[in-house]
Amino acid sequence: MAEKIRVTPFWGCMIPVKYPQMELSVRKTMEPIGVELVDLEGFTCCPDPIYFKARDKIEWLTIAARNLCIAEEAGLDIITMCSGCTSTLLEVRFLLAEDQELKDKVNEKLKKVGKEYKGKVKVKHIVVMMRDDLGIERVKASVKRPLTGINVGIHYGCHLLKPSQIMGIDDADYPSILENLIQAIGANPLTHTEKLLCCGKGCIDDEMPIDMTYEIFASMEEANVDCMGLICPTCFNSFDMGQIIIARKKEREFKMPVIYYCQMLGLAQGLKPEEVGLHMHRIKIDKIMEMISKPKKVNVAV
Amino acid sequence: MSDKKLDFDFRERLNKISGGSHHNYCYQCGSCVAICPAARFNEDFNPRDILLKTLLGKKEELIGENSIIWKCTNCYSCYERCPQDVRPIEVIIALKNICREDGVLPETVDKFSETISQTGRSVVVNPTVNRRRSSLGLPELQNVPVDDIKKMLE
Ligand code: SF4
Ligand code: SF4
Repeated sequence: MAEKIRVTPFWGCMIPVKYPQMELSVRKTMEPIGVELVDLEGFTCCPDPIYFKARDKIEWLTIAARNLCIAEEAGLDIITMCSGCTSTLLEVRFLLAEDQELKDKVNEKLKKVGKEYKGKVKVKHIVVMMRDDLGIERVKASVKRPLTGINVGIHYGCHLLKPSQIMGIDDADYPSILENLIQAIGANPLTHTEKLLCCGKGCIDDEMPIDMTYEIFASMEEANVDCMGLICPTCFNSFDMGQIIIARKKEREFKMPVIYYCQMLGLAQGLKPEEVGLHMHRIKIDKIMEMISKPKKVNVAV
Repeated sequence: MSDKKLDFDFRERLNKISGGSHHNYCYQCGSCVAICPAARFNEDFNPRDILLKTLLGKKEELIGENSIIWKCTNCYSCYERCPQDVRPIEVIIALKNICREDGVLPETVDKFSETISQTGRSVVVNPTVNRRRSSLGLPELQNVPVDDIKKMLE
């Protein structure tokens, strides 16, 4: 039996509060592939890398550093389930390593709550942990019902990859991590023109985010995608709820199921849609379930 | 010709904010514009132009709750592309920090941030949230140590 991986999950705000189905899917799928999730007490919002950072960067750095300290004290590395949390925690880690003066300033504030940031803790998005620590083969080995024939339109989102100087995860222009993970569960990652376009969520404008998500849907539709696969709750909001808004504002219904990667993994591991909370999505995934349950003559992935 | 005078005070101020000083490296090549989604979807937005205005110290055109800088989607593509390590998005964020210092932050940004400072979370937990969680067999959410946040930020 391969060695177990022990990490602390940093859930952030969006997942546990708005999209608990994603938390459920992570809790259900990680155990069978050898990941032990050690929940720690005391984490707060990462905090948010868009508005909160725009208001006061030093406050942003300080709160993030406090979160990092909690894992550091417990001697555990962090896995993140949200690209926003990944962005904040990795960037703060980078900035505090790059700039000693800044680190001193932040530690001065941390002292008030009896903490000191040393810079030892590592942070990885869950998909990176799967690729680098667990290995794609172990993900593959957990599959009982490969999602054969399902064309997944990947949406990378911005904050997993960029800036690559900080994230160090993949090539920002030609990434492959999600393609490989989608293949591991038997599905077919389809490329489409707007695969790397931003969902627009961070932009303060009434029109632009809608125009941007619209382009992404149009591009996926053209590529004959069956469902959209992503790894970030904020992007999910833009695309699941976003389709309701697009239908209202642009009078166009895409009816594109949007699925978080660990929910997809759960389905491939044989879990029912409700067991990974797929019944909670605005855009129904029935079409995908029909495709999965159709009897197929395929070799089960080993 | 007062409009040709550079406002060095503004640039000095920006230099002191984390991420702000890299604006000095910009040589106006426009690589950031080619990759910028906000520029693609809004012809008034142009990161090269924001950097030029910054270099010229045109504070009035950059600082304000309706400034064009708020249309940036925070995608980090410009950071990825810039050959000069300007990290344009970080300069834009430093400009936003100045908006806060000058009391001209958009209300959405302030309200959202205040929720984090006051509750420790960006989304408020109410009984419906915990009901939905328990319907999935997940534990109720506990309060987060917001007093720690308040102490650090005071
Ligand atoms: S910010 Fe960088 S990429 Fe943009 S114009 Fe200046 S030097 Fe060129
Ligand atoms: S971070 Fe902002 S300025 Fe930079 S490329 Fe993205 S939208 Fe444009």
